[in-house]
Amino acid sequence: MARRQRGEAARSSSGKLTDEPSLTLPDSDDEAPEEVTFEDSKVEALRSMKQALDTARRKQKQSEDEAAKEETGEQKSKKKKKRGKAAHTRNLKGNYTVTMLKDQLSTSFQQQTAEEFIQSRLYGPGSCRTTSNELLSLENKRAINKSAAVQFVKKEWACKEKAKAEKLKKRWIHKQQIPPC
Amino acid sequence: MGEFKVHRVRFFDYMPSAIRAMAFNSRTERLALARADGAVEIFNFADHYFQEKIIPGQDGRAAEALCWVGQRLFSAGLNGEITEYDLENLKPKYTVEAYGGPIWAMSSNGEGTLLAVGCEDGTVKMFEILSERIQFQRNLERQKGRIISLSWHPSGKLIAAGMMDMIRIFDAETGHSTYRLLVDRGFGPSRCKEVVVWSIAFLSDHTIISGDSAGKVQIWDGLTGTLVRTHPVTKWDVMALSVSPDESSVLAGTSEGTVIQFQFITATMDQQDKEWVRTRTFKNHSHDVRALVHTETAVVSGGMDTQLVVRPLLDKVEKNTHESALHKIAFPHRNLVCCAKKAGLLLFQFSDHLELWRIGESDGHGKPGDSLPVKRKPEKLIQLKRTGEHHICSSALSPCGGWLAYSTLSVVRLYRLQYNDNDISITKVSKLPKELRSVHQLCFSSDSSKLFASSSHSSVIVVALNQLECKYLHTLRPKSGSVQPVHLLCASEDGKWLATASTDCEVHVYNLCKQKLHCTVPVYSSCPTAIGIHPTTSNLVVAYADHQIFEYSLIQREYTDWSRKLMKQGLHRLWLERDTPVTHITFSSKNPAHIFMHDTFMFCIIDQSLPLPEARTMLYNQMTLRSLPEHERLRQSHAFKICKTFKHLMCVRLLEDHSVVVVERPLLDIMSQLPAPVRQKKFAT
Repeated sequence: MARRQRGEAARSSSGKLTDEPSLTLPDSDDEAPEEVTFEDSKVEALRSMKQALDTARRKQKQSEDEAAKEETGEQKSKKKKKRGKAAHTRNLKGNYTVTMLKDQLSTSFQQQTAEEFIQSRLYGPGSCRTTSNELLSLENKRAINKSAAVQFVKKEWACKEKAKAEKLKKRWIHKQQIPPC
Repeated sequence: MGEFKVHRVRFFDYMPSAIRAMAFNSRTERLALARADGAVEIFNFADHYFQEKIIPGQDGRAAEALCWVGQRLFSAGLNGEITEYDLENLKPKYTVEAYGGPIWAMSSNGEGTLLAVGCEDGTVKMFEILSERIQFQRNLERQKGRIISLSWHPSGKLIAAGMMDMIRIFDAETGHSTYRLLVDRGFGPSRCKEVVVWSIAFLSDHTIISGDSAGKVQIWDGLTGTLVRTHPVTKWDVMALSVSPDESSVLAGTSEGTVIQFQFITATMDQQDKEWVRTRTFKNHSHDVRALVHTETAVVSGGMDTQLVVRPLLDKVEKNTHESALHKIAFPHRNLVCCAKKAGLLLFQFSDHLELWRIGESDGHGKPGDSLPVKRKPEKLIQLKRTGEHHICSSALSPCGGWLAYSTLSVVRLYRLQYNDNDISITKVSKLPKELRSVHQLCFSSDSSKLFASSSHSSVIVVALNQLECKYLHTLRPKSGSVQPVHLLCASEDGKWLATASTDCEVHVYNLCKQKLHCTVPVYSSCPTAIGIHPTTSNLVVAYADHQIFEYSLIQREYTDWSRKLMKQGLHRLWLERDTPVTHITFSSKNPAHIFMHDTFMFCIIDQSLPLPEARTMLYNQMTLRSLPEHERLRQSHAFKICKTFKHLMCVRLLEDHSVVVVERPLLDIMSQLPAPVRQKKFAT
């Protein structure tokens, strides 16, 4: 009750000030500024906070609704596709569908990750590996009569590399022939 | 006598699969081997390392670990399942899901009552081994990282588990982790990568030996939880460890392809204390060694280069004998190539498909050793993909080329092939008799009217082939009640006899006209590797894993005189010391006294009309005979005419026009398609 009175008093006092056409501030320095009580400011603050929370909640709910709509829309289209494959689909109340997926999905994913782990440890970066051609050519390179790498020695191997080497050879010979003239 | 036109076939792109895991059963002396494609093979170490059994693989089911428990074989893989195998019917008996994610390691305790598996989710799961199955018992304390390797203490009370960056010792009864041993990471750039303890071994004196991805072998004291010694062994990973039965020697296999031996000996002569000292290094592989077994007398290693290497330790066997020689098994001891003699067709069996090829033709003539010009190139007629997840177990092509059959663990398929000028049509025979299920070997009769299929308990199913349909006729069964599978089937040319050989060394011969068992060849101590029936004399020729050859007369039901003569004189030392078994026996219609046989490195014509070679004479005398004048040759010839020009032989067959088809698979071609080996910087390359 006291608050109301004070509030009214405040309003009435503020009302008085604005009614006057000329907005001149009171000259006297003696007049104290408007008394805005703690209670009032507290109420004001609470009100604005509540408003902000409400808007935030509203926005969140809105976005959630949108997302849910999108999801159900997607799921429906996915399930429509799956319905073609899996026979185990049931329509429940509302917009919900239940589909039984194949059991191996999660296990095969884990198996794949495990295989990738081994692959990356043995053949991944930092494993210092080379090609089979290099391994097999070591003997050729270190023998008493040195010969070319195995992929150039064997007829059916590495046709692309051989073709490339041929082209380079021709180009080099051509280059050698031009300068003397 | 000996001039043949040879069709040299090198277009069979056979690629063996890498070896992932091995387990040795010291009581039965059998080695079980798991390959990357999921196949499991059993080798008999007591019988010249003969590959007795092959259980074909399945898509997505490669084994990471193998374990013998008595006579039972278990495997576990990255698909999270533990499988027990039925070794008599060559298939998985059952699988049990461990529900721990991919399984990395498996080991059984000394008594054979518990099976421990190390899983991706950080748990060590204990399974109770019951008589007909295994049952989940409990989990040990769950850890934060994956369990990569496991080893039981011989007492069965403790388990050591190798993980990422550490080793944990568990009390098997309470399930709690007692010690945590921290493993150092590598130097330099590998410092930021976690170190993986790929393999671990727990000895009875509580010493733990670990091999890790930083390339070191570390010796730990399991009682105090401290590091005793570090041995930096390689720049790459140490992938496998194996301890000898008497715990005096440990082997470590590396990604470089080397196997390093550590022995528990005194470091110097006058010292009393024994310690683990690095002794020998074996370099028998070109690629990573992923699996190791330390038997009492030998080092058995296998890895990414797909070859199984048995290196006997020279301090355990007599030096310079055949026993101490290195054995490398690179090719299966089975036929993967079928030849239609009358049609000039070859059927190649791969694990996931079949290829039918027509061999080329050549009109030319030339001197021995010449390459003749090819008039018509060989061409691939059909590529047939298998149905189902299981890999192809066996395949067959009828001699006329009109029928093709293959079998997997789940299906048997039969196709009719028809040739119109340059076209070929293939039709599937849809309704097969229901008796044709889980078949191990397939064989067509020589007139292509019947198909023989070996089934469980050494029985053979006979079906009749008729235009486009197939009718069940009868089942042939041996009297002995054998449970072992049949691995060899041979039908005679005249259609009267069918011979079978099973892995318990029994050879049975059936009379097809009377539809019953005719006789059983006296059991020999070694396993038969090839059988053949002579078209005119009806003599059965059997080659065994110990390289002995016997000839048995089916009509008289006794060994022939020639065979007795051979047994009495004995085979030549060099013949008996060959590395690989004979995989096929065939006969020539032009010369009835000739027996053709081949192994991976040679093919041989045994001329029964010539004298047998004496122990002191040269066995491989073809080159010298050629250089001698005509009249000298006959004096010096002996029965065994061996040709070593062609390697590595997968098939040698005699066609109807008396030309020889030789299917070679050069080892170099296989090696060029293997995964990347490690880079070793050699001076001046």
